Amino acid sequence: MSNPILALTYASLLLATSFILFRPDGGLFWQWRRQSHLTHRVLSEDALKHIYKNELINNMTTLDSVTGAIGISGNQAAILLHEMAKHGLLKLEGTEFKLTKRGRVSALHILRAHRLWEHYLAEQTGFIESEWHERAELHEHNMTLDEIDSLSNSLGNPTHDPHGDPIPTSSGDLVYHGGIPLSNQEIGQRLHIVHLEDEPKTLYSQLVALGLHPGMEIQVLEIGQHFVRIWAAGDEHVIAPLLASNISVVPVSEPDLDDMDESKRLSNLDIGQSCRVMRISRQCRGLERRRLLDLGVLPGTVIKAEMRSPSGDPTAYRIREALIGLRQDQASMISVVPL
Amino acid sequence: MSDNKAKRLLETAEKLRWDVGSTFHEGVVESIYSDAAHIADRAVNQKEKRSYFDLDRTIDRLVTSRFFGFPLMVLMLTVVFWMTISGANVPSSMLATLLLDNLYPLLKTGASTIGLPWWLDGLLIDGIYLAMGWVISVMLPPMAIFFPLFTLLEDLGYLPRVAFNLDNMFRRSGAHGKQALSMAMGWGCNAAGVIATRIIDSPRERLIAIITNNFALCNGRWPTQILVATVFIGALVPAHLAGIISALAVVIIALLGIVLTFVVSWGLSRTVLKGEVSTFSMELPPYRPPRILQTIYTSIIDRTLPVLWRAVLWAVPAGALIWTSSNVLIGDLSVAEHIVEYLNPFGILIGLNGVILLAYILAIPANEIIIPTILMLTVLSSRMDSFGAGAGVMFELDSLEGSLAVFQAGGWTLLTAVNLMLFSLIHNPCSTTIHTIYKETGSVKWTLISSLLPVAMGLTITFFVAQIWRLLGGVG
Repeated sequence: MSNPILALTYASLLLATSFILFRPDGGLFWQWRRQSHLTHRVLSEDALKHIYKNELINNMTTLDSVTGAIGISGNQAAILLHEMAKHGLLKLEGTEFKLTKRGRVSALHILRAHRLWEHYLAEQTGFIESEWHERAELHEHNMTLDEIDSLSNSLGNPTHDPHGDPIPTSSGDLVYHGGIPLSNQEIGQRLHIVHLEDEPKTLYSQLVALGLHPGMEIQVLEIGQHFVRIWAAGDEHVIAPLLASNISVVPVSEPDLDDMDESKRLSNLDIGQSCRVMRISRQCRGLERRRLLDLGVLPGTVIKAEMRSPSGDPTAYRIREALIGLRQDQASMISVVPL
Repeated sequence: MSDNKAKRLLETAEKLRWDVGSTFHEGVVESIYSDAAHIADRAVNQKEKRSYFDLDRTIDRLVTSRFFGFPLMVLMLTVVFWMTISGANVPSSMLATLLLDNLYPLLKTGASTIGLPWWLDGLLIDGIYLAMGWVISVMLPPMAIFFPLFTLLEDLGYLPRVAFNLDNMFRRSGAHGKQALSMAMGWGCNAAGVIATRIIDSPRERLIAIITNNFALCNGRWPTQILVATVFIGALVPAHLAGIISALAVVIIALLGIVLTFVVSWGLSRTVLKGEVSTFSMELPPYRPPRILQTIYTSIIDRTLPVLWRAVLWAVPAGALIWTSSNVLIGDLSVAEHIVEYLNPFGILIGLNGVILLAYILAIPANEIIIPTILMLTVLSSRMDSFGAGAGVMFELDSLEGSLAVFQAGGWTLLTAVNLMLFSLIHNPCSTTIHTIYKETGSVKWTLISSLLPVAMGLTITFFVAQIWRLLGGVG
């Protein structure tokens, strides 16, 4: 019989090692595997995307910016860019890299694959918002042109990704949203969010946490030196100017008075109380939205809160004579007028 | 239409597509739904106000109330289990008498009359036929009781309320409330539980439900738990408490299964199946009087028989393997004994033994034959000639004392019993379930994860229990 103390020690060591190696987020084994997956093609496609995005906003693309954007050493970046220039994808003008016509076409294809994937992830899977971008990055490199087209077809040829970025068509057309950063807006003007920048991830997660989403109406209340105060989703938020510059907006074209008052949600309803539905938030999309419509949650529908689960959530609502259980975060997507 | 015109039309359409914006589709859909609702409101007459006393609402308030909601669920579950286990005893033993005590000797006699070679007779009758007979007699009665009861509760409208009550806990572990239903179905049979996860829409949450379904202690494992608990744990306390204590031990194992369901769902939804918790949106249908005969018929046709059929098919290779491994000799010892000896050091290390490990490998096709296999292998490897009917012939003992004697001869201690109960809860799903998981997910990767994750967990947990037990001075 082995010594239990010794056995326990060995086993704990074994468990600890395998935890370090195979931890699902950032385990050494996975990191190593991801590194070895960064093939030449993936890197050059990422570089194309980076240069394309820079050209769109009139930024210079230099060796340093490529190094930073795709996370390789300066040396590797130099070799990579040299190779790409040799294949006629880009040209050097002074210290600045520019895409050739061929390079731009390739960049648009990658962008198309990326944004279609994001659209797919948003509409048809349960992945969390801050994961869409990274997962799309993984998939965009493994697609042939035909596969991209059939993905687009199966999604109904969407025009915009969930962040509000336009998806290029197969012929390479795209219309920029024309939004202006929120940080440069007049106070008091009513604005529509047209785009949320999804990079870097930490900033994007903060935007998501605030409940902001394209299609939503917001208003700037105050712009200070170190903060921007906004009115959104029926609430006041104070955000950093850096965060505000990642939100692109356009002025509201036709004022819609109902829009501003999103403060009363179905989730705030007490048991036994009734209300009339005004709208379902734009944040609720894809299958989730369709499901609510299927259940008959439409502007004008009268809903009564009937009972709450003994564990506090979900709540059952009487909708068109049927008793439907909805979770709190679902109910908070529906703005209502209490009766 | 000329090509030119068509081309211009397409260009205009393409341009308009960009102009109307990204919310256009949703707007159209919404207005279609609104129109439909208006038409329905105009055309459909609704009965005036329902009666003052609304029975549905009263029942709903009771079954989802803070005080009675959870106790009622536990009560309902206990009743279903009690009816299943006690109700299945009689038909199970009748089937066993028919298939194992009467038909089996007949077949043996018949085989020797027509002069079947001993190995063919052994393989077909002692191996394959016995395994099939065992699976049928242990599996059919509980499933024929459990599934109709379960379907009745479903029909009645109670089960959606259970999902409604439990949803919050599942939501916190990143899963869906409907998993409560597939878990409950898993108590009948994990293969049926895996099929039942079809009611979960989100693929991510469905996978979580599939992987964790194995932690619902299925009917095939209850007999093992009850036998081991009665023989070892019941024996620790005075005779008049033995029954209740051993029942309690089994309940604790089943509850541990529920806890593991939540813990593993939580772990999965934060690692390999990371994602957003999707929505609940489940209808709580009005209560209906169940159609009893139809329910019994459909649940037997749709649930019991297909699952049983698959299990019987899988019993064929299991029976063949069990018989062959104990009858093919290498040197002086059978293959089974060689493997038992080889596995024994590792088995002892995790507080089990080589026989139990081999039994769990041989009996992957059906948890029902674990105890007969263990008994047969123990007798085989410890050379007890007074028990059993020969190498490769599974058997069960009518008396608990008999089982205890065999177990003790195999070197079992209280630790072995506790760890066997744990391992019986936490090990790979049976091959019927694995087969079903593969058919439902269509993915080798997820099938492997659902099969290997529980074994790895089971081995780890039994190892730590054994070592800590020994550290604290326990015998074993």
